[in-house]
Amino acid sequence: MRVWKLIALSMLVFCLAFIPTAGSAAAKDTIVYGTTEKVSDMDTAKAYDFHTWEIFYNVYQGLLSYPAGKTNIVPGLAESFTLSKDGKEYTFKLKKGLKFTDGTAFDAGVVKWSIDRVMALKSDPSWLVTDFVERVDVVDPLNVKFVLKNPVSYFPSLVASPPYYPLNPNVYPKDKLVRDPSELKGGNLVGIGPYKVVSFKRDQEVVLEANKMFYGPKAKNSRVVIRYFADATTMRLALEKGEIDFAFKTLNPSDIKDLQKSNKFEVITGQGPFIRYLCFRCQGKPFDDKVLRKAVSAAISRKPIIDKVYLGQNSPLYSMVPMAMMSHTDDFKALDGNSALAKKLLKSKGYSETNKLSFELWYTPSHYGDSEVDLAAVMKQQLEATGMMKVDVKSAEWATYRDNYANKVMTSYLLGWYPDYLDPDNYTAAFAGTEGSKGNGIFFSNPQWDELFKQGQMETKEAKRIELYKKVQKMWTDEVPTAPIFQGNLYVIAQKGIKGIVLSPTLQFNYGPIYRAK
Amino acid sequence: MKYSMAQGLARPINAFARMGKKYGLEWWILCAGAVIILAIIYMAILPETFTSFNPYDQNAGPQLAAPGGNHLMGTDNLQRDVWSRIVYGSQTILMVSVLAAIISSCVGIFFGLISGYAGGAIDRALSLMMDAVYVFPGLILAIALAAMLGPGVLNITFAVAVIYIPTYFRLVRGQTLAIKQELYVEAARAIGASGFTILMKYIFPNVIATTVVVFTLNVADAIMIEAALTYLGLGLPPSIVDWGMDLAMGKKYLPSGIWWLITFPGMMISVLALGFTMLGEGLAEILNPRLLER
Amino acid sequence: MRNLLRYIITRTLMTIPMVFILLTIIFVVLRLMPGDPVSAMLGGHAPEKVIEQKREELGLNKPMTAQYADYLWKICHLDLGDSMVLQQKVTTAIAEKLPATIELTFFGMLITLILGIFLGAYAADKRRTVRDSAIRLYGIVVYCIPVYWLGLMLQLIFGIWFDWLPIAGRTGARIISSDFEYSGLYILDTLLKMDWEAFGDVSMHLVLPSLTLGLTLSGIFVRLTRANMLDVLKADYILAAESRGIKHSTVVYRHALKNAFIPILTMMGLQVALLMAGAILTETTFSWPGMGRLLLERIYLRDYPMIQGVIIVFALMVAFISLLVDIIYAIVDPRIRY
Repeated sequence: MRVWKLIALSMLVFCLAFIPTAGSAAAKDTIVYGTTEKVSDMDTAKAYDFHTWEIFYNVYQGLLSYPAGKTNIVPGLAESFTLSKDGKEYTFKLKKGLKFTDGTAFDAGVVKWSIDRVMALKSDPSWLVTDFVERVDVVDPLNVKFVLKNPVSYFPSLVASPPYYPLNPNVYPKDKLVRDPSELKGGNLVGIGPYKVVSFKRDQEVVLEANKMFYGPKAKNSRVVIRYFADATTMRLALEKGEIDFAFKTLNPSDIKDLQKSNKFEVITGQGPFIRYLCFRCQGKPFDDKVLRKAVSAAISRKPIIDKVYLGQNSPLYSMVPMAMMSHTDDFKALDGNSALAKKLLKSKGYSETNKLSFELWYTPSHYGDSEVDLAAVMKQQLEATGMMKVDVKSAEWATYRDNYANKVMTSYLLGWYPDYLDPDNYTAAFAGTEGSKGNGIFFSNPQWDELFKQGQMETKEAKRIELYKKVQKMWTDEVPTAPIFQGNLYVIAQKGIKGIVLSPTLQFNYGPIYRAK
Repeated sequence: MKYSMAQGLARPINAFARMGKKYGLEWWILCAGAVIILAIIYMAILPETFTSFNPYDQNAGPQLAAPGGNHLMGTDNLQRDVWSRIVYGSQTILMVSVLAAIISSCVGIFFGLISGYAGGAIDRALSLMMDAVYVFPGLILAIALAAMLGPGVLNITFAVAVIYIPTYFRLVRGQTLAIKQELYVEAARAIGASGFTILMKYIFPNVIATTVVVFTLNVADAIMIEAALTYLGLGLPPSIVDWGMDLAMGKKYLPSGIWWLITFPGMMISVLALGFTMLGEGLAEILNPRLLER
Repeated sequence: MRNLLRYIITRTLMTIPMVFILLTIIFVVLRLMPGDPVSAMLGGHAPEKVIEQKREELGLNKPMTAQYADYLWKICHLDLGDSMVLQQKVTTAIAEKLPATIELTFFGMLITLILGIFLGAYAADKRRTVRDSAIRLYGIVVYCIPVYWLGLMLQLIFGIWFDWLPIAGRTGARIISSDFEYSGLYILDTLLKMDWEAFGDVSMHLVLPSLTLGLTLSGIFVRLTRANMLDVLKADYILAAESRGIKHSTVVYRHALKNAFIPILTMMGLQVALLMAGAILTETTFSWPGMGRLLLERIYLRDYPMIQGVIIVFALMVAFISLLVDIIYAIVDPRIRY
């Protein structure tokens, strides 16, 4: 017995002797960034998630781009563009003398090659190109022309998104989708942006180094190490221990609250473009009746939901068009927490305390984070508090969930939306236009609305578009195909002394401006 | 002869103490287990005597309040009273585990009797199937079943029940085989008793004693598996109050120092499982002292 | 010697029908799935034709018997298929995560054995005293404590309140595993690379998870050891040794324990299933990147080939370790061979 005790004790001592000394400081110029997101595919033709796009923003460039923190379009790889009279041809003039980090020249041919590739490979994000672009023509090495199927007023914001980013034809295979950089010629991404990827370990870390040949403003740090965490708790603890410099996406609300209270950290917050909303199945009982849809959405009280479920860390949303986007209105405010209206509408359809409106409310337990179950529980309570509704809460994992809305299984369900491109069209037509509505399981169809959406897509004058979308939002409170609930806030928690973090509503997070103040 | 209250109680108390002296530790373990089980069953049947809060009420108190004051065990993030969720959660866990054990035992005993008595090909086939399930790591099978069937009280009961059928099967089959050889069974057959009669009159009663012990231990195991499945998010829809689920949901508040969301549900799972285990162990010792140890 | 060989061969052959049946059970259970995995995999946009094509490709249109034969054939070739959700072979993903689980279960088992056997022997030695009863009670109680709850409590106490030990993952954020990764067993790898800082970090991360796993299973071994030791301690040779004047603790902990050890070893084979189950729950609690977490992640994603593959590997591991233990038992105890 004693021998074993001795052995155990010495093992413990042995281990304790090797506790890594805190602050085994990485180079001063290296920033360590923690996240719980996952990288998907290192191919702009396949990746359709914001984290992988974030890496692309920093390693590649688009013909057009957004400045940090802003939503206006500025030149990127292209220094200007002209639009033809019929609105269907965009000719981009490229900057001169640009090269990929391996020396490959960047020219119109590269642009055409990349776009053709995205269209040919037909993967998840390719519709962002194929739905709009007919073909790409090389006018000359510095000029490339995009010929569209129809005039699209928000085409510049499409061009600023990763599926349109030019790739290096010497590195990417023309006819295959790439998942890991090891599949590329040379084993790593070769981009043209402010950083290059020097090391890639899926689900562990990705290391970026500043690209000295970048044509734009130089990065203020020399290395960025992205550290992947399996869950928020571990990440929070790593941040508190000083093992990472900042954490972005996604900490638990309770963790954010604690870190905000502590004065050892800086909390940078901004409005995200992510929205959450309740969808109704507009075909079949009971929600083929717009009065009932309106009644249910009137019973939703946004602020208490945000306080209970997210500890107040999101913003109530009163329209499908998010805040800070052009034409945003607050039309749903009149319907917020208005249980008197809800009861009146229900009564008008013959429902009462003894004859309750009974329906299912669905949610998906992990796709939007693990607080979904709480969100559904709180909503159920709010709806049932009117006394005239009986809500049956159900759940399905994401794969089955998507199956379900295509098969019209779910009467009402919670959904979230990250924009494909920053334009009110992406937040409206996708849910209430006949095609988009079908794809999202809502099955709302109204030719008047479709006409408005078509106009919105083609109209080039911004003032006219704003007016049009304002009208759509007003109509939304009457027909209520979906009811917006909240808009997500973005939180970055950083060690004191880390500066230069700017959050963008575009979610285009640039690593370049970040530096460690000393 | 009239008994006074004290006299009336004296006899059972004496019997009680006598058992204790005779069997020592095992008897007290059995009693402790029985007390725990009865207490929790009482909690499940009459929850209102334990708490005035509704476990679904999202306005029971402040958010994430520590234990104290109005709330014996604090409140959770949706402002629900934790103690009420413990009290009502007992219903779920008892229902699922006991039901699963009943199903397991009925199916297992039934097939065990048939297999042991009939012998031959039926016996071989059934034994093979049962052995395979028996050898298969239990929780993993339960996870696979629960994952495939989806959430639901009946689904999780089924998943838990399947795992224990072989245990009963083997026990009963073994005993059936042994009893089948006995002289009195042969005699009964000579008189012309049907197989069914033999099973019912001779074999079944002898099997019951050991089955009861296995049953209680089965319930203890079923409790652990049910809680594990809901902890993993596989068993039940969240609209049902359940201890395992509360554990899973309270996990993320741990680094904030919020300990009451996980301490109490876990403690209750342990206590309930312990109750059944102690009852089973105690019974095993007393009914059949040679079964477990000297 | 020939007897031993015969036993080994027979026992190994006997495992084959068992494995066969395990694989069949897995096949049957995993076909109980509701919903169509293919349309879920391809996403909402896919047209009917593409879905049909994918089903063809995955062989889901063939009759069940053909699929079954296919399944068995592939397994014999060590091909567990491709993940439906991510582009990777099932075997690759499992190979990545397997070492983590092996490391966890190894150290867990070590703690279980050390704790269980010594407490059991001590209890047998101090029979019928309060200490004996206390240890027996411990044996029962600790089994009833859910392993994940114990894990959470240990995290709370040692990770949050005292902040002595890390509560999740295999390495800290500043240690880059690719620096030393070789076999996947980090304790081994860091020692081989002589990276002492990493070794310390990895060991610290191993403490709580293996302690959790080890503690909960120790109860069973306490009772087993105690029961076996009680038998052994009754034997004549023990009395003889005592009367010869050999120190009591030597008699108990060396001679008696060695003889009681072998049946305990066989019991270990049966406990592997519990060990695997405990490992899955421990991995979820400590965010340990092993097969248990892989299984659960893929269940949420409905990645059927991966789910199937992981369960197959678990089942095979249990069967294989049982086989191994039986063979070791036969080697050590010549009475067992037949």
